[in-house]
Amino acid sequence: MSARGVAVRLLGAIGVLWAAATFTFFVQTLLPGDRATLILNQESGQTIKRTASELAPINAKYGFDDSIVGQYLHYLGGLARGDLGSSYQLHEPVARIIGDQIGPTIVLTVTALLFAWAISLVLTIATAKRGRVRSTLGSGFETIAAGLPHYWLGVVLLVVFAIDLKWFPVEGETSLSGLVLPALTLGIPLAGFIGQVTRDEFEKVLDQPFVTSARARGMGDLGVRTRHALRHAVLPGITLSGWALGALFSGAVIVESVFARPGIGQVLVSAANARDIPLVSGVVMLLAFVYVVANLLVDLAYTVVDPRMRTA
Amino acid sequence: MSAIQPSPALPVGGPAPSAAVTAAWVRSLRPGVILASLVVLFFVLAAIAPALLAPRDPLAIDLAASLRAPSAGHVLGTDQSGRDVYTRIVHGARQSLLIGVGATALAMAVAIALGFLSGLGGRLVDGLVSRFVEVLFSFPVLMLSLLFVTVFGPSATTEIVAVGISSAPGYARMIRGQVLSVRGSGYVEAARALGHSYPRVIRRHVFPNAMRPLVVVVTLGVGQSIVWAAGLAFLGLGVAPPAPEWGAMLDAGRNYVTHAWWLEIFPGLAIVLFALSVTTIGRYLQQRLEGGPAR
Amino acid sequence: MSLEHPAPSPPADTTRGRARLVGLAAALAIASTLSACGGGGASGGSDSASAGTAAGSGAASGSATPVRGGTIRYGHEQEPPCLTGGWVQEAYIDRQLLDSLVAQEKGGKIVPWLATSWKVSKDQRTWTFTLKPGIRFTDGTPLDAAAVAKNFSYWLDPRTGNSTVQSYIGGYYASSRALDATTLQLDLKKPYSPLLSSLSQAYFGIVSPQTLASGADAVCTAPVGSGPFILQKWNRGQNLTFVRNPSYDSAPANAKHQGPAYVDGIVWKFLGDQTVRYGSLTNHQSDVIYDVPTVDWQEAKARFEVQQYITPGTPVRLSLNTSRAPFDDVAVRRAFAYATDRANGVKSAFNGVIPYNGNGALSQSTPDYDASLANAYAYDPGRANSLLDAAGWSAKDGAGYRTKNGRELTVKLVYPAGSVITSEGVTLLQNIQQQAKQVGFHVDLVPATPSETFSGRYSTPDSYDAQPWYWTSPNAGVLYIVWRQNLKDSPNGNNESFYNNPELDRTIAAANSTLDPAKQKQLYARAQQIIVAEAAVVGLYTQTTSLAIDRRLRDVWLEDSQGEPVFSDAYFAR
Repeated sequence: MSARGVAVRLLGAIGVLWAAATFTFFVQTLLPGDRATLILNQESGQTIKRTASELAPINAKYGFDDSIVGQYLHYLGGLARGDLGSSYQLHEPVARIIGDQIGPTIVLTVTALLFAWAISLVLTIATAKRGRVRSTLGSGFETIAAGLPHYWLGVVLLVVFAIDLKWFPVEGETSLSGLVLPALTLGIPLAGFIGQVTRDEFEKVLDQPFVTSARARGMGDLGVRTRHALRHAVLPGITLSGWALGALFSGAVIVESVFARPGIGQVLVSAANARDIPLVSGVVMLLAFVYVVANLLVDLAYTVVDPRMRTA
Repeated sequence: MSAIQPSPALPVGGPAPSAAVTAAWVRSLRPGVILASLVVLFFVLAAIAPALLAPRDPLAIDLAASLRAPSAGHVLGTDQSGRDVYTRIVHGARQSLLIGVGATALAMAVAIALGFLSGLGGRLVDGLVSRFVEVLFSFPVLMLSLLFVTVFGPSATTEIVAVGISSAPGYARMIRGQVLSVRGSGYVEAARALGHSYPRVIRRHVFPNAMRPLVVVVTLGVGQSIVWAAGLAFLGLGVAPPAPEWGAMLDAGRNYVTHAWWLEIFPGLAIVLFALSVTTIGRYLQQRLEGGPAR
Repeated sequence: MSLEHPAPSPPADTTRGRARLVGLAAALAIASTLSACGGGGASGGSDSASAGTAAGSGAASGSATPVRGGTIRYGHEQEPPCLTGGWVQEAYIDRQLLDSLVAQEKGGKIVPWLATSWKVSKDQRTWTFTLKPGIRFTDGTPLDAAAVAKNFSYWLDPRTGNSTVQSYIGGYYASSRALDATTLQLDLKKPYSPLLSSLSQAYFGIVSPQTLASGADAVCTAPVGSGPFILQKWNRGQNLTFVRNPSYDSAPANAKHQGPAYVDGIVWKFLGDQTVRYGSLTNHQSDVIYDVPTVDWQEAKARFEVQQYITPGTPVRLSLNTSRAPFDDVAVRRAFAYATDRANGVKSAFNGVIPYNGNGALSQSTPDYDASLANAYAYDPGRANSLLDAAGWSAKDGAGYRTKNGRELTVKLVYPAGSVITSEGVTLLQNIQQQAKQVGFHVDLVPATPSETFSGRYSTPDSYDAQPWYWTSPNAGVLYIVWRQNLKDSPNGNNESFYNNPELDRTIAAANSTLDPAKQKQLYARAQQIIVAEAAVVGLYTQTTSLAIDRRLRDVWLEDSQGEPVFSDAYFAR
């Protein structure tokens, strides 16, 4: 990628981040109810209407008295200095909260992505164009897997393998064995999706002349599948993985909730409920950032897998 | 919910499989397609006239018959308040299908507007719209939905808007790609050379050709939207109880899963079965459209 | 505490599922109490503990010699936004970190804690507390009378304060000062007989002046006290870790031992989902869990030591908005109460584990609770029908709902989903909705999200007709908080029925300032009778705490002001 290409990419990334911050800020500002009342009532566990004198110090502390534009500029100014602000609800700097929570979520999503690839590749190599029964079984599994909702799959896996069989921990520890069920919950549906596109591509590639010629040179079936066909067949799946990252983060919110697993998802849901603007914006911008980086990685992965792209 | 946007699930465009392969594929799909059609028909009927399939009142409580396991009297069991689970699943179809179809329709409307603007609007417009789509796309579906629900409160309308808007960017990208490829194809130029006006070319040539692959995507989108909306309900952000809705039933059943599995398994099965069936039909249509006379 | 803590199982975390779990647990706990004690006792908390023992886990406590070491893995439900403040969810945590001036035993008896003795002037307006000498906060600061006075000033300062503390004593408190290092004088504007009982709650736990001086964020996230445990880390969304305070020497007189805790620390996990929470106990990932799911209660009784505590204060009850139609008419309010079979609805929704509380004014475990109101408005649809007919709601529309002058008899019932009302509570509301439909009420159930709830969206007279809520409190003085008139110059947002009755106001104020216990009981009873007769609230069920404890862990107990778990006497049997 040329220097100009990199610069354009970076500018685009900053634009996406700015837009994400702006959008989130204004949406949250439009929310019903009074933010100062919310902060005060949450601290005391009450739901009552507050008097002006009770609200005044909170309004002053968080700058709610300023105009919306003033608050927005103040917020953007902080962002430009790398200051994500302080959470209304958790009374801690947003960057620290995210830093504390992001680790387990990244581990979960990356593991899920690896599981998804492993499952779909094994399935594709083992069943694609291997006769009608095998093919149907393989594609049938993919179709079903792709349609499984995380919340349902997660609860079923939890009850069967953790609560009844006791093979895995019930609550989401960060240990390896505690990672298996959540990552499978997140990975299985994705495996279905990746499997579907990879299989289509794989079958097409197996009909190509160069495959026939490789076979004619005496290469074994497994060799053809893994050395030649796979390399071409994974491209759409890689694109899909880039797109899937955002989806994986969404799924992580639910999976973390089902398995009581630490991570950004739990924090996000409660922050959205509490209208914790700095925290929600921080998470949104992080996700936007992840999205931008992931798509950059997808481009890179393309050039590695498909040498023709290198000169492009 | 599988968090995946529906679009990438099916590779639209690209070289079609050879006719022989397609024919075999279609043959192998047949029994599945028939079964899938029956499932979809059942749920559509349930949505239109639920009382035909389940004459009981989905809201009526019977405290004496609480948490009954499936039996002849209650084929899918009862919930904590003694309501019949089968009746509630049947009556819940309307809400779920409405959300699925509504969200997909909204997503399509937004996506068509954006996609065509982008594909036909020239470099500047294309750049701007593409940026906008990029921004929307950087919000995971659930994130956007959470924001919407927090602003507007939980309701069916909110779910439709939230799920619809968040799945629009995927479709918009695809439509743009289609528009660009159709616009660049020879017959559009030919039509222009024949002296047809630009709007007419768009209406008669670009639009139908760009939209054809979307039939399949729409089918898949309905299933995905239902799965997403149920996910919102599962997080407690869906329609208000006691209205029967699949996701809300799942959410309510979660607490009883170790004691009354039927409360969690059956509503989940309804979602999976329906999503699976529309996917099967969608893929079948895809084969037919790409390999058949439509081409 | 005044906190209204979420009803049965507050789903602190936003996912409702978890909330529900808690509710179940609470419900279970109650039921067991009932069955064990044969009838719901009036002095809740302690009863529950005994109930737990009776329920068969029993022998665990107390027999063996305490052993040092080990870390308690505790599965709690909700995570509050702050560690100190006015919510019962905060009080649970504060009990581990902070000491209060006095403690309350079952039956309402007050025993020494930080204060070894106290006396009150003849006019009941000047209290003098003698503090235990030589106590230090875990940051090294001395815990003396000046430090306690600083806490009072902090709580009652409108800019920084603790609004729950203010709800209790704001109308009575005049000033506090240190006479010497161990003598604290508290001056009141008028007599307040529930004072000591109120002080026994963890909201009134004493925080280090250094923390107070560091500002509100420090008070919220890193409070330092003199209690049996020291906060080590708060992993948001996940857990709190506590380590033992090795120099702890200020346990209350009702503790099972004096001196530092036996265990090395606590991992206080937030497990909102009830299936996960209970599974964590059965899978040996937790040693003790809070709010045992009601569906699991029977099994838990057989496998673990269980305890339950019926929280005093108000029950979980529906506040009916008396300021607008249709509930501005007392006949309609009464008809609504008669129309709903709440006793059976509660039994069904909570699996028979949590008791029905028909007296909407006070929970059955509150001192001075009037038991004669327990069956107020027993299910009587015939009476509901005739009341409504007489009140002019005699026509019916196509859907079977009553109408008057073309207006449908609609009740907008707003409930705080995911924070106060658990899933079982929601099931109960659905039962009530269907029952009320039979006599022609159209109950519109509106779930309010936590942000709507706490931002006060449904706190105004024009925003709802009925709303469920509760206030836990160790004494009947809570009536003052909830029923003081809501007037222009002295608003009372906690009067959620918007019910202003000068006679009721006077009766409660008189009770709060009366010294003669018999007279006081009579006045509180009078207040309850007015509230119930006016049907300004409709009683539902009791707020309940329950624990299930692995048999290896001994001597965990629930204190008596509001059911805070106490871990400083607990130890692992060998």
